[in-house]
Amino acid sequence: MTGDALVIAMKLRDEMVDHCSQGRPNEACGLLATKDGEVVKVLKMANAAASPVRYALDPKEQFEAYKLLDQDGLELGGVFHSHTRTEAYPSPTDVRMATEDVPYVIVSLAREPAEVRAFRIVKSEWADPGGDILEVPVVVEG
Amino acid sequence: MAVEVRIPTVFRKFTGDRSVIEVEPGTISQVIDQLDVQHPGLKEQLMTPQGELHRFVNIYVNDEDARYLEKLDTKVAEGDTVSLLPSVAGG
Repeated sequence: MTGDALVIAMKLRDEMVDHCSQGRPNEACGLLATKDGEVVKVLKMANAAASPVRYALDPKEQFEAYKLLDQDGLELGGVFHSHTRTEAYPSPTDVRMATEDVPYVIVSLAREPAEVRAFRIVKSEWADPGGDILEVPVVVEG
Repeated sequence: MAVEVRIPTVFRKFTGDRSVIEVEPGTISQVIDQLDVQHPGLKEQLMTPQGELHRFVNIYVNDEDARYLEKLDTKVAEGDTVSLLPSVAGG
């Protein structure tokens, strides 16, 4: 990120949105790999919850993805998931289950075109059920 | 020190921003105790007061999820890598 903006190329943003669209009727999810503050790769992951209202990364797939990030000298720059029918804003479940200290990107498929917004969930303790929601600007380039 | 423990970003504020910490071989429980000696407060983030692994934490020993091995009793040998992963989920 630059400052605290999520910088992503249009092509990668579209890739992320496509992955979310393909996941319907269930929520889709994945990770964003960054280098020097910019998203360079969209890691499309399976939704282990296979639900229209929940998402979860399979721990094994997550582990392999984190290893790849390390190997390629990339950083975890964000976690994305879709809301199939609700707005691009963290749900109470999103807040309760947020653990990573990176922007959470939400792709809303409720209307066309899809809306993409990003947020930090700021908690006093990493696994607190509650937290403050701070929006992170998404800067789409190209 | 012969076991490498990989620390995810979310716990690095407890490790002085270190992403890799070395400990001695032992069970995962003993590895966590060693981490806490080196970086006080880290164990409390990983374990419940009842002595169980926090449900939002996954632990891998090399490429194996410790939940499918012997959980906190899983033995970690010299040369092994232990990776801590916070679960990623929501709705």
